[in-house]
Amino acid sequence: MTSDPLTADSITVSADPGPFRCSPAHTALLIIDMQRDFVEPGGFGETLGNDVGLLRSVIPPLQRVRAASRAAGMAVIHTREGHRPDLTDCPPSKLSRGDPSLRIGDAGPKGRILIRGEYGHDIIDELAPRTGEVVIDKPGKGAFYATELHDLLQVAGITSLVVTGVTTEVCVHTTVREANDRGYECLVLSDCVGSYFPEFQQAGLAMIAAQGGIFGWVAPSAAYLGALNVLYPAVVGATTGDERS
Amino acid sequence: MSRTLTRSATIGPVVADPYPWPYDGTVPADRVALICIDWQVDFCGPGGYVDRMGYDIELTRAGLPGTARMLGHARATGMLVIHTREGHSPDLSDLPANKRWRSAQIGAEIGARGPQGRILVRGEPGWQIVSEVAPLSGEVLIDKPGKGAFYATQLDLVLRTKQITHIVLTGITTDVCVHTTMREANDRGYECVILSDCTGATELGNHTAALRMVTMQGGVFGCVATSEAVLAATTTGEGHDI
Repeated sequence: MTSDPLTADSITVSADPGPFRCSPAHTALLIIDMQRDFVEPGGFGETLGNDVGLLRSVIPPLQRVRAASRAAGMAVIHTREGHRPDLTDCPPSKLSRGDPSLRIGDAGPKGRILIRGEYGHDIIDELAPRTGEVVIDKPGKGAFYATELHDLLQVAGITSLVVTGVTTEVCVHTTVREANDRGYECLVLSDCVGSYFPEFQQAGLAMIAAQGGIFGWVAPSAAYLGALNVLYPAVVGATTGDERS
Repeated sequence: MSRTLTRSATIGPVVADPYPWPYDGTVPADRVALICIDWQVDFCGPGGYVDRMGYDIELTRAGLPGTARMLGHARATGMLVIHTREGHSPDLSDLPANKRWRSAQIGAEIGARGPQGRILVRGEPGWQIVSEVAPLSGEVLIDKPGKGAFYATQLDLVLRTKQITHIVLTGITTDVCVHTTMREANDRGYECVILSDCTGATELGNHTAALRMVTMQGGVFGCVATSEAVLAATTTGEGHDI
């Protein structure tokens, strides 16, 4: 990560706290935990009393971002939080904390809660991974801990991440912090990350860009799409048009 | 039967938000680590990195008295005391390019000379831990290149070797290094509590928001408590034994 990957094919996104530059060939779109249990009505998240509408608002812009990123030839990586059916990878503290009415592994409205292979654990249809796209299964909030993500990015020569998904202050933030310590440049798309709590959406985004961008950059998806459009006017423009129609 | 006070203290349940800490009721003090994060001159001393960026160091110093009290308590009860220091080797070979670039943008480039020596470089005056919470000989020191105390360090190995299962967090800043470390610890299965009166941030709003984030969803990263609550929930061996 010492050599400058920015070449003639780099893009510049207007962002907070300053312009974000990256080369699409060395950048991956990361889509975090857009799973039925967190995002769909009737899922685990909603049974805890959360308003999933606040998370679902990220789906349309995220679809446009994914289509444009694919068109630009970027890698697309999905993550899912979950555990093995026998819960051997679930720390006791996570399982029992707060004496919840529904625990990880219990039967929930969409199958056993946060268990790999269950219907509710999988990614929503609107953002279903395409064949060949990487899906990272993670036992924690961060996508780097106890996963192959870092190795995979290194092999692919990825130095920058465009980060999307849910929830802003939990899994998105933890992953961005991990990525930042590992030297990756992160651009978080403000309308493509969501929280059950508006207060934390705002605070979470502000923390990323604070102190000169202590964890990375923040921009709306329109700024990112506009920057891609400069480099790939035909493909990106056509793709975003398709998504709207 | 030995009644050595330092060997038999237990902690919990501590009055905490959102549940009495720890989740498993009580924990022997020798299974608990007090981690004091980045109490360095560069983050809370005059002429250091945070001061040079233009922030009010009174905000980052606010948790020093509470941490000093908590340190005394941890030492008396036999908790494992760990101190962390953020910094880089003098040749900056462990400094990611983007971290250096950003620090330069805000006018305090890591490695540059300042009133407290080279900014965030190991061995320099600004990198030292302030005297109020200085480590004692024999306490564990973890030097970290990032915000998180687990990444590229031996912290996890030390904790596992010492059979630590529970972590009490103090330090600065709440929303950056303390939070990143708490998130890392939580993913690794450690049961964490962050002490509100032993932490601080460069902006009060970020301190408050970071603490509130911990308490959501039944304690998504653990709990928030005060040092007084931990002290009050500590039972010595004499109290237990009949």
